[in-house]
Amino acid sequence: MEILKKKINRYSLGVWIAFLALILICFAWIMQIISLVDWERAIEIGVQDNSFTGNVTERAMADVERGVAVADILWALPLTIIAFIGLLREKFIGFIAAMMTFAICVYFPLFYIFRGSTNIDIVLVVTLLWAVPSLIGIFGLWTNRTNYVT
Amino acid sequence: MVDTTIFTWIIAIFGTITFLPLMVVQLLMVLEPNGRKTKDIIIAKGEEWRDKTHLKAILGFAWADLIVILPLLISSYVGVFTGQLWGYMIWLALGILSIYFSIVFWVMEKEYTYPSLGWLAYYTYAWGFFLYWGLAAISHSVFQMSSL
Repeated sequence: MEILKKKINRYSLGVWIAFLALILICFAWIMQIISLVDWERAIEIGVQDNSFTGNVTERAMADVERGVAVADILWALPLTIIAFIGLLREKFIGFIAAMMTFAICVYFPLFYIFRGSTNIDIVLVVTLLWAVPSLIGIFGLWTNRTNYVT
Repeated sequence: MVDTTIFTWIIAIFGTITFLPLMVVQLLMVLEPNGRKTKDIIIAKGEEWRDKTHLKAILGFAWADLIVILPLLISSYVGVFTGQLWGYMIWLALGILSIYFSIVFWVMEKEYTYPSLGWLAYYTYAWGFFLYWGLAAISHSVFQMSSL
């Protein structure tokens, strides 16, 4: 844990890891924006799995995925922006927003894993790109919490 | 140390009222996914799973809730009532997830659940409580942590 407190330029290593995790998370939100703008195009490029023009099951799963995409854009994306700016300025609100963003990004890959029917490639991507960096980001920020919470 | 206030108690009791029935239903789902009682509660009275994918998706939510949300909820209570900062951090995480899934379910299934349940049930125990609890938990946690 002590290594996460090591200063590299302006911020500690743990905070740099949090920044990296937030940047990776932004890719997820970009994919969700693409999906909401043109769902069928998102399927073509492999961002989504289930089509609204498919069978009953596919349409039902597409409904779930659209719900997740809307929640990501309305709720998680603004939080990510607040987290990024807040951490850059070393503000308490940045610490809080980053922790909440990471909580979402650790939880939703678990849902994909437990669901069992998700393509294994997607499970690996969401775990390695978002869940693991977010988990390390939580540890990184928690180790440096005294910078934000007195 | 973070002081326990009357609001901490209210949010903890409200959280128990909100999450306990959900956890009982999810336990039922994990133990007997094809049981009549489970399907009556989760889908609708007399209804069947649309197919295996539908069943697996709901089972995914059930496992995630029991393995992640339930231990987090219990440990958050231990944390907040012993005045620990991490207790409020867990409330923040649970609060954000609670609001997140309120949005997901609003988009995903309001058109099915709202007509069958009616406005009172929908905006209280079926959906609304999770949103209200999330907002309350986040507000209270931020207030407690910022006043340290």
